[in-house]
Parts: sequence; structure tokens; C-alpha cells
Amino acid sequence: MGRSFYRRLTPYLYLAPAMTVIFGFSVVSMGISFYSSFHDYDAFAGASRFVGVDNYLRALFEPDSHFWLAMRNTLFYVVMSVAGVLLTALPLALLCQRIRKGQALFRTLYFLPSITPGVVVALVFFHLFGVWGQVLDNAATALPALAFLGVWSGAGYNMVIFLAGLTDIPRHLYDAAKVDGVDAWGQFRHVTLPMLRNTLVFVTVMTVIGAFQVFTSVYIITGGGPERSTEVITYTIFINAFAVAGQMGYASAMAWLLFAVIFVFVFIQMRIFRSRNVYEG
Amino acid sequence: MQPSGCSAIHGDGRNSGVALDRKTVMSVQTLYRLLAMFAVVGFVALILSRAGLTSEWTIRSGQGENRPVKLRVWDWWSPSGNEEYGFYFDGLKTVFERQNPDVEIVFQIVPFGNYVQKLSTAMVGKSPPDVFQSSVYWAEGFYQRGMLRPLNDLLARDPVHEDGSRISEADFLPSAWRHNHTQDGVVYGIPQIIDASCLIWNLDILHKEAAHDQEIRDLFISDSTGVVDYARIRYDAIRDWEHFRRIAKKLTRYDADGRIVQAGFMIHAYGGGAGMFPPWLSANGGQFQDAAGTLVRFDTPAGVEAMEFMAGLYWKDRVCLPFRRQLVDAEQFQEGNVACIAAGTWSGKDIMRNTLGWQHFGKTAFPPGPQGKGYRTVTWGNMLVIARNTPHQEASWRYIKFVCSLEGNLLRLKYLRYPGPRVDFYQTPGWQEALIERPYLSNIKNILLDGDKLRHTEIIAVDHQVNPVIETLLLRYPDIMEGNGPYPSVEAALKQAAYHANRVFDRYNIQVKQWTAREQFEE
Repeated sequence: MGRSFYRRLTPYLYLAPAMTVIFGFSVVSMGISFYSSFHDYDAFAGASRFVGVDNYLRALFEPDSHFWLAMRNTLFYVVMSVAGVLLTALPLALLCQRIRKGQALFRTLYFLPSITPGVVVALVFFHLFGVWGQVLDNAATALPALAFLGVWSGAGYNMVIFLAGLTDIPRHLYDAAKVDGVDAWGQFRHVTLPMLRNTLVFVTVMTVIGAFQVFTSVYIITGGGPERSTEVITYTIFINAFAVAGQMGYASAMAWLLFAVIFVFVFIQMRIFRSRNVYEG
Repeated sequence: MQPSGCSAIHGDGRNSGVALDRKTVMSVQTLYRLLAMFAVVGFVALILSRAGLTSEWTIRSGQGENRPVKLRVWDWWSPSGNEEYGFYFDGLKTVFERQNPDVEIVFQIVPFGNYVQKLSTAMVGKSPPDVFQSSVYWAEGFYQRGMLRPLNDLLARDPVHEDGSRISEADFLPSAWRHNHTQDGVVYGIPQIIDASCLIWNLDILHKEAAHDQEIRDLFISDSTGVVDYARIRYDAIRDWEHFRRIAKKLTRYDADGRIVQAGFMIHAYGGGAGMFPPWLSANGGQFQDAAGTLVRFDTPAGVEAMEFMAGLYWKDRVCLPFRRQLVDAEQFQEGNVACIAAGTWSGKDIMRNTLGWQHFGKTAFPPGPQGKGYRTVTWGNMLVIARNTPHQEASWRYIKFVCSLEGNLLRLKYLRYPGPRVDFYQTPGWQEALIERPYLSNIKNILLDGDKLRHTEIIAVDHQVNPVIETLLLRYPDIMEGNGPYPSVEAALKQAAYHANRVFDRYNIQVKQWTAREQFEE
């Protein structure tokens, strides 16, 4: 074995610890979950019986399945939070970019919610919503309230991503636009937005994935109510997996259905927003 | 003797001075680093010295003993939330270990909300606790999964002691000894407590109103000469639902804008509301489920009546604070905003603790509804169970016998002011003293004796199906009555909830058959 072999091996050795952890804690557990989804698995008994695709059929077609209701609520949540995050994070980034002094302070302040534990944020907002009236006691307003919380938590993080994207846009493009008499809105539309395409794709994809997986706020604040209006899919999965006897397989099947939905969404997004090399520096 | 830095100044001129400055700066930086390191190490040491690496480590290092049997005991009563539990566990450990020199107790506190998940993980990981407290919520399911050791042989062979340390069905209140065994008599747990849902009354509010209202004055105990004891409410103070409604209305106060400033009663629309349904149902002669756990029984006229009574108190009689998730019954009660709430009999000690000693409150069972026969409620007796595969079965049984003995009951009374599930407990001087010291305990025994069995099969899964319906009924009752709601009627809503709950029972019963078949196959 020559020197070139070891040279080729080196990066894999560096990657090995991280890959081992990912394999052990993600891939293996995903595999077990996939296996469970075809079984009547009970965590207490630690045993299972093969049931084929029954769990999937039950989730999709049984009349007392909450899968579709939970998916509908989740979709509403995704739409509200993705729109909310994009409509707050980008303007915040643009404002932050214009600040000459104290940009780091604002960046830190807006980023703070992202590093605050979700449970703490949920508990604080639980009481804040109480001050604002019966927001959580109305089926029409409870889910938007949770989406608002999601936007508040996620806007700062995504603002930092947008800020990084904005910093990468060459100044001379704006200069050229100004020379051509383009106003501020035109600059934003024809320079900023196209140049932020990849950042936008990243933020949108990550926000969609995160929003599909919303759980903490639902679990802490509403428990799926009122009138099941905030019962999202992860909550349904959790209840079936850990609160109902022998339903781990059913819950796993729903988890894989959720995976499929997210996969399709992300795939479509990637196709639509795929970079067309607007600019090559 | 000069420091080396000083000699460098004198010897090397300007360059040495620079070297000195750098060296000085370096030494200051080093000092800061050292201080920071000491601070971190000290902080970690402080945490470990107070909390220990594990509870086992703390206990072992504290005692320095080496006993052959280390008995792991799980519980959700946490000293972190209430230090009284810590004193109780200390007392329990001291007495039991003194009586059993071969056993060391290691308490492990697991939060109630995570108990089932943690236990599931421990079972799969083949490291369950030897003995643990099980809520009636889970005990039946644990047994049916084959997780618990049947106790019949231990009960049968146990000699009868005169000192109250024996364990047999006859020693316990009937309302305590009914969640701990199957219909065919397999005992899988021994009750260590007994609790019930009850109505808790703010006697300060009642006392104030009693000054000008004979009907409210009549709620209190009075002697033959007519002297009223304002510290004790009569067990039969409320005659029936109509009487309750009238009293609640009298105790409700509104401001000029019609907002409630003092509520006669409080209903929580969410989990608590659903939790309040079974005792009202029981008071109206109904049942939540059958004894075998195979069928729902609440979708009856008695159930509809109970539901309409609860919703009526809120919407028609307007005696309750607004439905709001953030309003917690117990907090509103303790703040004096509500005259009466429904809660567990266990809550007295918590109310006293949270109000720094206020105990001017009293407890009653639920008054009979139109179809009810007498005062009713629902009771439950959380129990101690032994994991089937524990290597310490003998020590576990000794522990259970101790905790569930009269001595154990009196320890709980001493530290936690808990009523006991044993019959002989209520004859002890300790209990009589407690009744004098804490008058709110005075009706407890009657409440416990008048209870029906709390529902017991797959409670969390059934809650997931039934609670949202009850929640909707309470929140949208006017819409439903006007025909604009999500259900055409209360009856239809309860039928739907019953259908879904029965589906849970169906699936569960199939599951139980599979577990049983597998167990028989393995045997």
C-alpha cells in the first residue's frame, strides 16, 4: 500500500467518528423505525408481529385515524410559519445590513430566540397569549398563535443566514443599477432577490422541514386542542408511540408517511428554485 | 531577594523592559486563566457535592455502607417540587433499612409525565426498577404486558401479624382494593394511597356569605345548640345538583360590566374538564366504562345529563371563570377567586403549602344528580408493584409490606398528611390528631368510601379520543344547542366519543390476547 492510498484514506478517517455517531444514532434508529412500521410492535413487551402494510393503510384509510386531520393542521402551520419567517427574516436582514454601528448587537438580539430552549419559549408564550385574551381557547386562533411563536423563534436565525447571503452580493451590481437609474425597489427585485436565490432556497427548505416537525409548542401549550385544531402530525405520532399500548408500529408508519411528505415537498422546492446561475463572479 | 522580572529590568535596559511587560501581561493572563479554571472546577464541585453524580452515588458516599441487596425504587413523588416528599423518603429509608440490615434502598425519582416512557426504556434495556409506585392509570396495562409479578403467593404465605404489618385484602378499604387485581383475582399491586375526586370549598367565602344567608350557614356543621363550626363543612352540605347550582349562583359576584370577580365554581375546559366528567357522571348514577375494560358506558342519558349540567353551569348560570388555558383551578382557588373547585383529595397539603398555611377549606363528595343515588365520586388507589424479573423479589416484598403496613401509612400521614388506604389507619390516634389539626380532612373517609372505581383501561389513549370531544362540548355548547356546532347534540357528541373510545378498547383487547398468548408460549 503506497503513500497515495493513505492520503486517500485520511479524509475518511477524519469523517469516521462523525459518521459512526450519525450511523449509530440516526441511520440505525431510522432503520428500526422502518422495521417497526411493518410490525405490531410494543415497546414494553419488546416484541413484535409482522403485519405488512396494515399500519400504513390504517393511518391513511381508517375512519378514526387522525392522520389526515393532523396533516391538514401541519400544512396550515407550515404555510403560516414559512411565510412568516420569510416575511420577517429578510426585511430584518436588510435593515440590519444598513446599520453602520451596532450591527453585531442587533444580530445577537435577533438570534437570541434561536438559542433559547423551546420549552422555555413555549412556557413564556403560553402566559403571553393569556394576556392577549382567549387566543388559545379558540379553534380559529390557536394554530396561528403557535405559528406566530414559530416565526418569532425562527426569524432571527434565518435573518443571520440572509445577512450572510446579502454580504456576498457584490456592491458593483448595485452601483451599476444606480447608474442605470434603478430605484431601491428595483434594486431589491432585480439584484438582491436573484442573488439571494440559493439562500432563499436554503431558508425555505429548512423552514419547511422544521415546520413539519413542530412539536414542543403544541405539546407544552395546547396539547392538540382546542377541538383538535392544533393537533399536528408529530404530536399524533408521539401520542400513539408512547401513550397507547402497542401502537409503536402505527406511529412509525405515520412517521414514515411524514418523511415521504417532507421529501416530496423539498424535492418540488428544489426543482422549482434550482439555481440558474444568475451571476458568476 | 528580588523577583526575576526586576533583575531583568536592571540588567537589559529597554529590551528587557519590553520582555518584562510581556512577561507581566502573560502572568496576568495566566492568573486570569487559572482563576477561571478554579471557578469552573469549583462550580462543578459545588454542583456535584450538592447533587451527586447519581442519587446512588450520593447515598452510598453518605452512608459508606455495603449492603448485599440494593433495592431500586421508582416513584414520581419528587422532593424537587415539594421538599416534604424528601423528608418522607428519608424517614422511610431510615426505618426500613434499620429493620432490614441487608437492604439498601435507592430511590429514583421519575417525573409522572415521563414515567411510562422511562419505564418502557428500562424494561427494553432489561434494567427496570425492582419495585415502583404505579398509578392506576398504568397498573392494569403493566400487568397485562407481563411486566409485573403476581403477588398472590406472597400474600398467601405471609404470616398474620398482630402489629399491623400483615397485608391482606381485609386490611384495606374496599375502595382502595379494587384497582390492584384482575377480575379473576390475580393481585399485582398493593395500594399505598387512596384518593378520590372531591369538591373543595373556600370556607372564608362561605363564612362571609353565611353572615346574611341561612342557606349558606346551613352548609356548616353546627352543634345541638345551633353553634356553627365555620371550620368544617357538612359532608351532606349540598343536597343535589339543583342545590349546588343555587349555592354556586349565590357565591358568584359580578362587577359593573357583568364580569365575574368571584366565581361560585370553576370548570376547566381542557384536561381538567374531561377529568371532572367522571365524578359528575358517577353522581348521576353513570359509569365511564365497564369493569372488564371492554366497553364504554358514558354515552347514556345519565352521561348527557352530567355533560349538560357542567356546560349549563358555565354558559347558562354563569357561575364559572372564563375558559382560558392559563387559568388553573387550584391557583384561582388559592387566590380566593373561586368558592368551589373539583380536585383530588390529595390536594389539601398542596393548598396549605402554597398558601403558607391557610387551611380554611373543606371537602365534600359530589351531590347526587337527577338519576343519582346518594353522594358519589370516583376513587383510585395507586399501588406498589414488583417488576416480574427482579432478582430481589423477597426484598421487594418486604419493602412493599413495610410501606403498606400501618406503620408505613402513619409515616405518610406524618410527613405528607396523606389519608391511608388501610381500615385500621382511621382508628389510630395519629389520624384523630390530624383531624383536629387539619379540619379539612374531616370528610375524607366518607368521600373515599362513597367512590366508584375510576376508569382504568388505557386511560391516556381513551383521553386522546374523549377529551377533545368534551372540550368541544364545553367550549361550543351554545352553538351545539342552536344547531350550529360541530355536533348536532350533546348525545351525538358523546356517542362519537364512545365509538372512538370503544375502538381503543377493541384494539387493546386484541393486544392483550396477543400478550397473553406470547406469555403462555414462552412459559
